[in-house]
Amino acid sequence: MKPTVLEELTIAETSRRIRKKEISPVELTRLYLERIEALNPSLNAYLTLMKDRALATAKTAEREIWRGKYRGRLHGIPFSIKDNLAIKGVRTTAGSKILSEWVPDFDATVVARLTESGAVILGKTQMHEWARGSHGINPFYGTTHNPWDLKRVPGGSSGGSAVAVAASLCMASIGTDSAGSVRNPSSFCGVVGLKPTYGRVSTYGGVPGTGGHSTNHFGVLTKTVEDCALVLETIAGYDPKDSLSAEAPVPRYSRAVGKGIRGMKVGLLRGYFDEAVEDEVRSALDEAVKTFQSLKMKFTEVTIPHLDLVPAVQMASSRSESTTDHDVYLRTRPRDYSSSLLYGNIAGLLIPAKVFIQAQRVRRLICQEFEQALEKVDVIIAPTVPVPAPTIEECTKGYLERDGRRIPLLDKRGNYLMLSTIPFNVTGLPSMTVPCGFSALGLPIGMQIVGGLFREETVIQVAHSYERKAGWYKRRPPL
Amino acid sequence: MKEMVRRLDAEYGFALTEEEIELIAKQVEDANQLFKPLFEVDVTGIMPLMKIDRKPKPRAKPKRTRK
Repeated sequence: MKPTVLEELTIAETSRRIRKKEISPVELTRLYLERIEALNPSLNAYLTLMKDRALATAKTAEREIWRGKYRGRLHGIPFSIKDNLAIKGVRTTAGSKILSEWVPDFDATVVARLTESGAVILGKTQMHEWARGSHGINPFYGTTHNPWDLKRVPGGSSGGSAVAVAASLCMASIGTDSAGSVRNPSSFCGVVGLKPTYGRVSTYGGVPGTGGHSTNHFGVLTKTVEDCALVLETIAGYDPKDSLSAEAPVPRYSRAVGKGIRGMKVGLLRGYFDEAVEDEVRSALDEAVKTFQSLKMKFTEVTIPHLDLVPAVQMASSRSESTTDHDVYLRTRPRDYSSSLLYGNIAGLLIPAKVFIQAQRVRRLICQEFEQALEKVDVIIAPTVPVPAPTIEECTKGYLERDGRRIPLLDKRGNYLMLSTIPFNVTGLPSMTVPCGFSALGLPIGMQIVGGLFREETVIQVAHSYERKAGWYKRRPPL
Repeated sequence: MKEMVRRLDAEYGFALTEEEIELIAKQVEDANQLFKPLFEVDVTGIMPLMKIDRKPKPRAKPKRTRK
């Protein structure tokens, strides 16, 4: 197997070949480790490599498979894990200086489930400091680079995970998403990123303070929708260690792949983020609508009466919740935060309880409005990010310049690059981003496909049909 | 607003400069502006959402018993 072949591999195909003993998990792991060694210095996708452990796991997997003990579709498949998920015995920094030497003595439930399935974990991926941000610039561990253009950011906060998948430095990655942190970098890097329904995947073992308790989700990043389904059906399900995980049964999500979508209804979400969306992104969405129509889906537009209050609800909820987890460090090591994060945390301490409670009342209203909308359509679509990936320089300056306008990356509504992803953190609805086109500069553009609570199967069904028809998933970054 | 930030500074021991206090106070003011419209919504009878509701567990099928 030549190293270049890695770029074409999917979990769906590789797992079949591993089972038939046509691909050796040990050889596969070695090839990924060699590619990481070659490309990570320029991309900075991995923060910690687990080389020896990965090879040992791959050898065990190979021995088991050779002896006929095949554990399932992820057996021998190379993964990466965002650095805010605990792995026993492996440094877990959450992108922070404060946890730079923390080594957990337990596994996050997702990590335990992947290990049980025989997956090979190659290492921990780069992220924003405490998962707060949307570009990928970390003051302590350096900047992660977008594989489509090294001068550009990969997005965040799961930027390392998205780069690792896009650059074929692993086959899948697990990230976290409190405001769009799986979907934003997936969109910028041209991969599939799923934030499942709230409670669908256990968040036990996530580093506290890297997301709001009621807005944070663990998500999946892969090259294709089918691969995403295969990972989700392995990691989803009730976890007694996570009191917020859901007891809903876990379907075989991969069975939704290949089902037709004729006659189903798709609704384009209109709202406060429309004015922020750049022409190229809007055109890509328009083309996507035509593709859905060519697949015989019925199209309509969707409006949510109180959608414009989502940024306020998100900030009141997520910031209040995550700041409480920082109290001990704010008292003992305040200057070990970057200054912007320290200021944000202090501002978070000053959100009054009455604001938090009012936000939760409005939040219920918004959830009800989405529920009503999803009675009329099967899925909702929306842009993932208003623009393709900005440059590192633009993000360092803190603003974009477009058509003579200066667009601040942070304004009163919060993070500009998360404007269209936060509605689904507030509501907990499952949202998957898939590539839906490329800009004139060759940068990927993403589209969210959103379903009702616990209707990931519908999202996967529609996303897979679109992906195959549109064909954007075949493009690879020029590395 | 600056006074509230100063009080927190004293309680937590951040050792903030005057410039930092001003910056944080501005962030708090901006956030308060963002929150204002939340109070213009009629939420009479609407309970706060304290968690995303779980889907109820499906009932187990009754077991067949041999007669």
